[in-house]
Amino acid sequence: MSADELVIETDGLVKMFGRFTALDGLDLAVTQGEVHGFLGPNGAGKSTTIRVLLGLLKANGGTARLLGGDPWADVVELHKRLAYVPGDVALWPSMSGGEAIDLLGSLRGGLDDARRAELIERFELDPTKKGRQYSKGNRQKVAIVAALASNAELLILDEPTSGLDPLMENVFQEVLGEAKERGATVLLSSHILSEVETLADRLSIIRAGRIVETGTLAQMRGKARTTVHATLAREPVAAELAGLHDVQVDGTKVTATVDADGIGDAMTLLTGYGLEALAVAPPSLESLFLRLYENDDDAAGAR
Amino acid sequence: MNAPVVGAPLLLRTSVKHEARSFAPWIAIATVLSASSVLVYPWVFPTQADREGLAALVGANPALGLIFGPAFDVSTADGFNAWRTLALGGLLTALGAIFVVTKATRGQEDSGQAELLASGVLGRSSRLLTAVSMGAIVSVLVGAVAATVTLLCGGGTEATLLLCATYTASGWMGTGVAAVTSQLGAEARASSSMAVAIMGTLFILRGFAYSVEAPDWALWVNPLAWMTETKPAVENTWWPLALAVALTGALLAVAFVLQARRDFGQGAIAPAPGPARGSTRSPLALALRLNRGTLVAWTLGFAVLGIVFGYFTTAITDLLSGDAGIGQILASGASTPADLFGTFVATVISLVGIIASIACVQIVLRVRKEEMEDRVEPLLATPTSRARYYASNVVVALGAALAFLTIAGLVIAGFASSADIGVTYGQAFGQALATVPAVWTVIAVAVAVVGARPHVSIAAWAGVLLSFGLTLLGPTFGLDDWVLAISPFYHVPAIATSTVEWTGLAVVTLVGAAFVAIGFAGFRRRDLATT
Repeated sequence: MSADELVIETDGLVKMFGRFTALDGLDLAVTQGEVHGFLGPNGAGKSTTIRVLLGLLKANGGTARLLGGDPWADVVELHKRLAYVPGDVALWPSMSGGEAIDLLGSLRGGLDDARRAELIERFELDPTKKGRQYSKGNRQKVAIVAALASNAELLILDEPTSGLDPLMENVFQEVLGEAKERGATVLLSSHILSEVETLADRLSIIRAGRIVETGTLAQMRGKARTTVHATLAREPVAAELAGLHDVQVDGTKVTATVDADGIGDAMTLLTGYGLEALAVAPPSLESLFLRLYENDDDAAGAR
Repeated sequence: MNAPVVGAPLLLRTSVKHEARSFAPWIAIATVLSASSVLVYPWVFPTQADREGLAALVGANPALGLIFGPAFDVSTADGFNAWRTLALGGLLTALGAIFVVTKATRGQEDSGQAELLASGVLGRSSRLLTAVSMGAIVSVLVGAVAATVTLLCGGGTEATLLLCATYTASGWMGTGVAAVTSQLGAEARASSSMAVAIMGTLFILRGFAYSVEAPDWALWVNPLAWMTETKPAVENTWWPLALAVALTGALLAVAFVLQARRDFGQGAIAPAPGPARGSTRSPLALALRLNRGTLVAWTLGFAVLGIVFGYFTTAITDLLSGDAGIGQILASGASTPADLFGTFVATVISLVGIIASIACVQIVLRVRKEEMEDRVEPLLATPTSRARYYASNVVVALGAALAFLTIAGLVIAGFASSADIGVTYGQAFGQALATVPAVWTVIAVAVAVVGARPHVSIAAWAGVLLSFGLTLLGPTFGLDDWVLAISPFYHVPAIATSTVEWTGLAVVTLVGAAFVAIGFAGFRRRDLATT
């Protein structure tokens, strides 16, 4: 991957709020034309990262490059080329949704009117309601239409589907797929795996202000563990099961997780106790995430 | 317990605990106002001659009466305190109550907090009851703390108690008004603006009625004048307070009836659907759009203020000729009638300027509010630079100041030039324009605070507070000229007098420009608020 293909690149990014470290040496790389899933539990630093990339917050350390420029210094030039959907959309109480879309679009240098109309239709959005009358999901739709009706080459989406119903989530997935076909690069943050699983080419997982895993879905699956449920002929010796993870022993019943490269060894070990029944669940990303998220709690607790 | 108010005591206890900090400034300001009067009086005006001098000073500038009301007797510390603080202390208490009530009703509904509460075990009227109780409590606290401290500082017992009781009674009336407007406005801001406008109008009308020696009915139809009619330290009449209590009760009854009829989160006036396409397409257009209601209301307000103050200038000759102190000043040759009138017009227009600066500082503070409510973030994520966004709002604030003074100036000049006081139309209107740079400098303080130190955005009011305190209260404290000169309004030349000095105003303008520069530098460098 050469540097000029990188649309977003941060290196050791640090952001402090007083004494609290929100970003603790974050390295994020997003290549051109990909949909990059940005996953992490609540409070891991997703929105802070995005706000630094948008030049809304100034980093305390490290470097960030966005579309080849400095997100803090080159705000106006860079923002002509990107569109943003905030995680928590606040609209102006006295303005209708349609007015808000046109305001944001105009500030960005104009909207594609045909696409604006089409998106409003597909998202079933009433553009004449005033700010406060919209539900959370509908406020989200206003921001999504405003962002996607432009021809931005980079879309930065901060938990864009929070509040959307499943039907609208499908529409969103379609629309995002179309944007990708047009060649847009997408940074899609979320705390729910299934939201990014269908669209993302690559994923980065953030925990406590650092990227802890990054790679394609296939690479991630390779890191996920297989779950094994076994009923043995005799009770196992705890010390001998040390090669397995998350071991739970209930008499002769054993439940454990196993790394992809350790399945053979685990089978050999368990067969030694006389296998009476065996169930193997394939590696799921869900379990990988839960594992990473749980570790986050440990990390937070240790601090 | 009565079903409609289930849960109110618990909610009240929690709310008071939560909001107690926001009560403090109102209590502090009223207390400082009142206690400082009795403390400084014997010190600044030690002799009988000094006190007569004060009476002459007050009499010589009837413009002061517009704000402070009539000076029944300033020859005692308590009488001085009553004159100086009755009107202001009452208005401030009422404003405090208005903000507390509006925040606890519509403010909570707008922020969604109320929904959490209303879904709990809470009667339909509990939240309003809690809100008005908080308004009543903050009013009582203002009165009680101010009375205690003033008595400790040596205030006379009955005069002090009555004076501070008028603060509380004014606060209660403010509570009643806010309880009603909270049921009417489309959102919290509209509700509180409505209540503030009502109290502000009554306040100005009271000062005007006393200053032009209006007939009695003009006093008795104005609830704020009831407070003045208690005449603390002079007659100590307690019964007008009962009128205030009765009015508060009536207003609350109306509020509870209206509250039972309206939908949650909406005022009596339902918002109409908006256009599907927007014409607001630039940061400047947005700033104008967001402040539209405020700008229209204040514009009307300044036209009315121009009429009130302008009419007042036509009455000046009568007012001055009836005053013995003025006769002495003129007879001694210390001042000519032309100078006296010129200074008078300048003072009246300074008052307009200070009121204009209040309106414009609000516009600047709106930037911070928008930022706190996450509405600036999506704008700055577009190719809109921070400087451009901030400049759009600052331009609206500065432009509003110019517009307000122009409007009031045109009207006042019309009256003044027809009043045969030796002030031409051009001079009076020029006076209004000359006051603009001073107002801009006060606004510039807010620009600096919101731009560079937004965490202490309350400090944005520092310029207003200093100008008000020094320009209006300063002379009665016998402060030195160099202290008075901190107020930008001190440097506005009185154009219709024989000596016109522009240097001070130029310096003031430069200071203002420096504040604006600080604000922009800060706004460009700092983090945007995150929630």
